[in-house]
Amino acid sequence: MLRPSGEFVQSYRLDTQIFRTRNTRYAAVLSLIVLALVPLFAGSYALNLLIQIGYLGIAALGLNLLVGFTGQISIGHAVFFGFGAFASACLNNRLGIPVIFSIPLAALATALVGLVFGLPAARLKGLYLAIATLAAQFILQDFFARAHWFSGGVSGSIAEPITIFGWVADTDEKFFYVLAVFFVLSLLLVTNLLRTRDGRAFVAVRDHYLSAEMMGINLRYYRTLAFGISSFYAGLGGALYAHYLGYVSIEGFDILFSIQFLAMIIIGGLGSVSGSILGTAFMVLLPQVMEWLTAALDGSWIDTTLHLNEGTAFLREMAIGLVIVLFLILEPDGLAHRWRQIKAYWKLYPFSY
Amino acid sequence: MSILKWTAVVLAGGYILASPALAQETISIGHLADYSGATSDVGMPYGQGVADTFEYINENGGINGKKVDIETIDYSYQVPRAIAAYKKWAQRDKVAAIMGWGTADTEALITFVTKDKVPYFSGSYAATLTDPVGDKAERAAPYNFFYGPSYSDAARALVKWAADDWKAKGGEGTPKYVHMGANHPYSNSPKAAAEEYAKELGFEVLPAIQFSLAPADFTAQCLSLKESGADYAFIANTTNSSVSLLKACETVGTDVQFLSNVWGMDEAAAKAAGTAADGVVIPVRTAAVWTDEAPGLAVMKEVAKVSDSSGEQYRPVHYLAGICSALFVRDALKWADENGGIDGENVRKAMYAQADWFPEGTDGVCKPMTWTDTDHRPTAEVSLYQIHVTGQPDNDLNKAIESGAVKMDKIATVELPRRDDWHGH
Repeated sequence: MLRPSGEFVQSYRLDTQIFRTRNTRYAAVLSLIVLALVPLFAGSYALNLLIQIGYLGIAALGLNLLVGFTGQISIGHAVFFGFGAFASACLNNRLGIPVIFSIPLAALATALVGLVFGLPAARLKGLYLAIATLAAQFILQDFFARAHWFSGGVSGSIAEPITIFGWVADTDEKFFYVLAVFFVLSLLLVTNLLRTRDGRAFVAVRDHYLSAEMMGINLRYYRTLAFGISSFYAGLGGALYAHYLGYVSIEGFDILFSIQFLAMIIIGGLGSVSGSILGTAFMVLLPQVMEWLTAALDGSWIDTTLHLNEGTAFLREMAIGLVIVLFLILEPDGLAHRWRQIKAYWKLYPFSY
Repeated sequence: MSILKWTAVVLAGGYILASPALAQETISIGHLADYSGATSDVGMPYGQGVADTFEYINENGGINGKKVDIETIDYSYQVPRAIAAYKKWAQRDKVAAIMGWGTADTEALITFVTKDKVPYFSGSYAATLTDPVGDKAERAAPYNFFYGPSYSDAARALVKWAADDWKAKGGEGTPKYVHMGANHPYSNSPKAAAEEYAKELGFEVLPAIQFSLAPADFTAQCLSLKESGADYAFIANTTNSSVSLLKACETVGTDVQFLSNVWGMDEAAAKAAGTAADGVVIPVRTAAVWTDEAPGLAVMKEVAKVSDSSGEQYRPVHYLAGICSALFVRDALKWADENGGIDGENVRKAMYAQADWFPEGTDGVCKPMTWTDTDHRPTAEVSLYQIHVTGQPDNDLNKAIESGAVKMDKIATVELPRRDDWHGH
């Protein structure tokens, strides 16, 4: 995990290795084993939270690719998440495609839609691009409400549970394993993508688009492609979400949810794969932690002396906002940066300088 | 040594004797309520009625001595949150029944509750929930129940009343009917049924006017209502949205007889809307309102003391409906307990056990209902009340009712035929 001092890379191949040291590789294998054992120990409540982190994390990963790695912006990520959910349910319900295939197909369909809505990105950037992606948010949200054949209109549509050769993933434990496979695959794919020419091109576009263009990178192509890939992961997360809940309705995929995705990657760390996941975990767990705190506060002396009564619920919402603001001020590089600092602390202990 | 041994024996004996008391049986019930979402205006009194009733039941001997363990979850009218709550109840808590709420979430849950055999008592009265077999409606809903006329039947009763009213007023030509509501499963639910029946009764049905469930400035909608020349307008949203609409229409100066869906109006909303709400006709599910005289109201007043120890507070119609729904469940649970034990199938059977029945002790308040294993339309009788508001009602609901500024007058009881082609629609 910790890179020993005195170890230098001697070739480009070594420089792009995913697992830098033997220990990192062991840690990765070990965490896979732990992941596989989680449903045996975790209660259904913890399992549900982990599943939420899973499908939201996949979608956040996509957004980080767009915002953190390519330096663009999207405030319509939630509708792509929703599009994947509806598309997978629709492919399964209307065409009878087994769920396990309809999920990746839905992700591909979302990628295509993302490419279309990403077209303005070829020309626009910054705030102008943000407003252009707002169009996707509104157009698709309205489309969901009206396209009865696709989404079931305002009454939503049923999503069958995932079935593999008669094995039905209809409980949280079973679904967890299916999700874990998709989750690990997504992490590997994104990490791998960043080692390729395309991945480096994304980063070059982010760091300085003029220099990138001078080096022969087709800006229009990569900016649009980033939208496509980002939507792919949003769609994948959405499709998994649909078949987990068993039902998709048009509510929920609103602009607030899109902003939440942005919050996840900003808190987790822009331009970091692990940051996307850390940020998602933060956003999922924070309301829960606040819920416990306010529940503990309920009826205590603080509650009675301050006459909070019903106010504890509002206190929770306010505290969530406050924690996010404090986080952005004190740790602007995100949780991923904090994690690196913790590692560095232990590596240098006790002679940090 | 021997003293130790004896202590151990006594303690063990005491433990064995005490354990039945420790392991007192409880009945788990889930309660979905909207206290903070789009329909919290009516979700609040209804949900409170349900919650208060179960606390009252526990204080008064429970279900044949068994305590009810009810968990209330505020799902903010968001379908995904309702489903997450349901999964928790069905998988972990193994609930005996669920007290539900909205149309969108109840419809989304039909497949789940049918598969898991969980009796589901919704605050949604959508006609799609009334077919336990599945040959009339789109889907079978054998475990869905609700108390009161379905949205469609209530709307048909209003249309029928409107037709009679048109004749009584000596109106000339064909009367015009218009549906007003959000594009939402709840508001859409009675639309087709009422429009079809209106056509049948000789109305001219105008294109529907859309306005959101969230209150906003509805002046534009009122202007198009005025322009359309409608005589009767059906309001299909919930109270806050209705109040905004009625106020805007009063300003615009429309001359329309408003009819409202069951959740679209209550005493509190009438007070808030002031004279704009004067004359609105609504269906009421109970046989009495809070200030009436009925033997069953004594129980209701006891229930109300759970959340208001003074017992002085005036409770709107939705609170009473919440109590009645919960008490129907209480009696069903009791029957199931005495006839083979409390589980989903037995609670469902309990609903069919009697015809024209109402919860014990609620004479003259909860109306008699009948559910059969082929028809979940509990009643075909709809009581219609007209709201009367004079002057500017006091901001305190108690005073507004006492002074007579807000009044609810029963104007008709419509007995609808149980038509086969109306079943499930």
